[in-house]
Amino acid sequence: MKDLLATMSKEDSLTYELSSLYKKWGYKEYRMAKFEEYSFYSDNRDFLSSSSILAFNNSDGRLMALKPDITLSIVKNAKLNDALTKLFYNESVFRMTESSNDFKEIKQTGVEVLGKVDNYLVAEVLSLAAKSLNAIDDKFILSVSHMAFIPSLLAEMKISENAKKEIITCIKGKNSHDLKTVCEKCGADEAKTELLIKLAKINSKLMQTLPELCALASNETMKKACTELEFIAAALGKSEIADKLFIDLSVLSNTEYYNGIIFQGYVEKAPNAVLSGGRYDNLAAKLRDVTQAIGFAVYLDNLNLYYRKERGYDSDILILFDSASNSESLLSVAQSFIDKGFSVRVEHTVPEGFKAKTVYNFENGALREVASC
Amino acid sequence: MLNIALPKGRLGDKVYELFASIGYDCSEIYSDNRKLVFENKENGVRYLLVKPSDVAIYIAHGAADIGVVGKDILEEGNFDIYELLDLDLGKCNMCVAAPNDYVEDFDRPLRVATKFVNIAKNYYISLNREIEIIKLNGSIEIAPILGLSDVIVDIVESGKTLQENNLRVYEKIMPISARLIANKSSYKFKNEDIDNLMEKLKKVLAK
Repeated sequence: MKDLLATMSKEDSLTYELSSLYKKWGYKEYRMAKFEEYSFYSDNRDFLSSSSILAFNNSDGRLMALKPDITLSIVKNAKLNDALTKLFYNESVFRMTESSNDFKEIKQTGVEVLGKVDNYLVAEVLSLAAKSLNAIDDKFILSVSHMAFIPSLLAEMKISENAKKEIITCIKGKNSHDLKTVCEKCGADEAKTELLIKLAKINSKLMQTLPELCALASNETMKKACTELEFIAAALGKSEIADKLFIDLSVLSNTEYYNGIIFQGYVEKAPNAVLSGGRYDNLAAKLRDVTQAIGFAVYLDNLNLYYRKERGYDSDILILFDSASNSESLLSVAQSFIDKGFSVRVEHTVPEGFKAKTVYNFENGALREVASC
Repeated sequence: MLNIALPKGRLGDKVYELFASIGYDCSEIYSDNRKLVFENKENGVRYLLVKPSDVAIYIAHGAADIGVVGKDILEEGNFDIYELLDLDLGKCNMCVAAPNDYVEDFDRPLRVATKFVNIAKNYYISLNREIEIIKLNGSIEIAPILGLSDVIVDIVESGKTLQENNLRVYEKIMPISARLIANKSSYKFKNEDIDNLMEKLKKVLAK
């Protein structure tokens, strides 16, 4: 199997490896249609990473959309168990990309859990997220944040919604100089501004930073979040991923949908986050009669670019023949190589740029080796 | 090795001097050639000289770890990067400028010539003012003189160019200066190197 995975692209081998990982942890594969009613996405546009949706009219005139997001669809449509529903998926989403200003099909794999989410489950999902990153590259970082910190502090600040938006933009960009200016301009409380700056700057290992973070917790919401993070630290502190878990409160999501722990995953060779997820009880409660939910998505689309495999051989064997050759015996010779586990290509001439370990000429019903690497 | 993208030109020269003063020099950069990449293995730095408007693109795509870029370019684009430090260099203002005798007519949409389309749009959205954008790529000051636009949105450093073209600053939109930016993934994996550099920069800037 390892040989087979080695021949696949990063995207294909990861799809296989991650599906296998999630199945081992008892998650069931969920498949869905490529389309959904447009109105569903337009009603929940704020949840989407891009506001553009690829829409079309179907045969009965209904306005449909190519899925821009998987989580929304799963939360809306999945058949729920009484206790927990644990699902994983391998799907494509269609989103506008800023670089090309056009729609692009993006392959995603991910996990969604709907039902009663307790501390154990949060730790399990974080552990699965870390294992997913490890499958891409063992040099990875999982940045963990909690929606209790920055949003609860902002809620206490008596400033306009526009100022809050500007502050969030600064925090997401780790821009403490402009953050200070915005806070000063809108007359925000100085102590709270200082605390915001301190919280936004944190970017270090979860196990070491947690006491420092909890010491900064200034309200009950933050203190409750610390208890949750302490449980995670206790559950994962001795695992092999402990050193890869970082606290980074600049990771923020829309409070209308997300609450609790949220996270983003980075691997060394990719310039942007390749995994993101978190707790989205608010979305689950909005769409279904489910009070709690957590999940994450792994973006597979650009990994082939960042993790290029060295070009190996196109096939093990290349057999060259001329039109006078006996087709029956040629087929039989090729089949005998395949039966022995080799890959074979049969051609009249060597295709342009083609690389084979061994090249044979098929002459008078027999093979003659002409080149070997 | 830290890959640093610097803007070619005056600002890039100033920034290089600043970086060299805190121990990230690469003397090869002074050699008179057309090379765009300079490396000093001992200091662990590689400088990439790129067009100012492209610095953030190099950073966002991970072709460089950190870089220096004007706030105007960051505001105009939408880059998924960290903005770590205000370097207090290349200071100027993004302004609305108009002919000296200009009186705004609120009866019709304002015609705005600029190369900073997004900054202009966002500014006038914040004022709830209807505008018509005329995208230009240079010599913006000429647009109101020829009646192509009512006002322009552009960077104003000393105000001399405006003066020479009988224009004046009508409104100030935002102050601009050079910012140290980082790729998000690089910031996580090369955090110690980047933090060290930032600390040294902060010390110099505080003086």
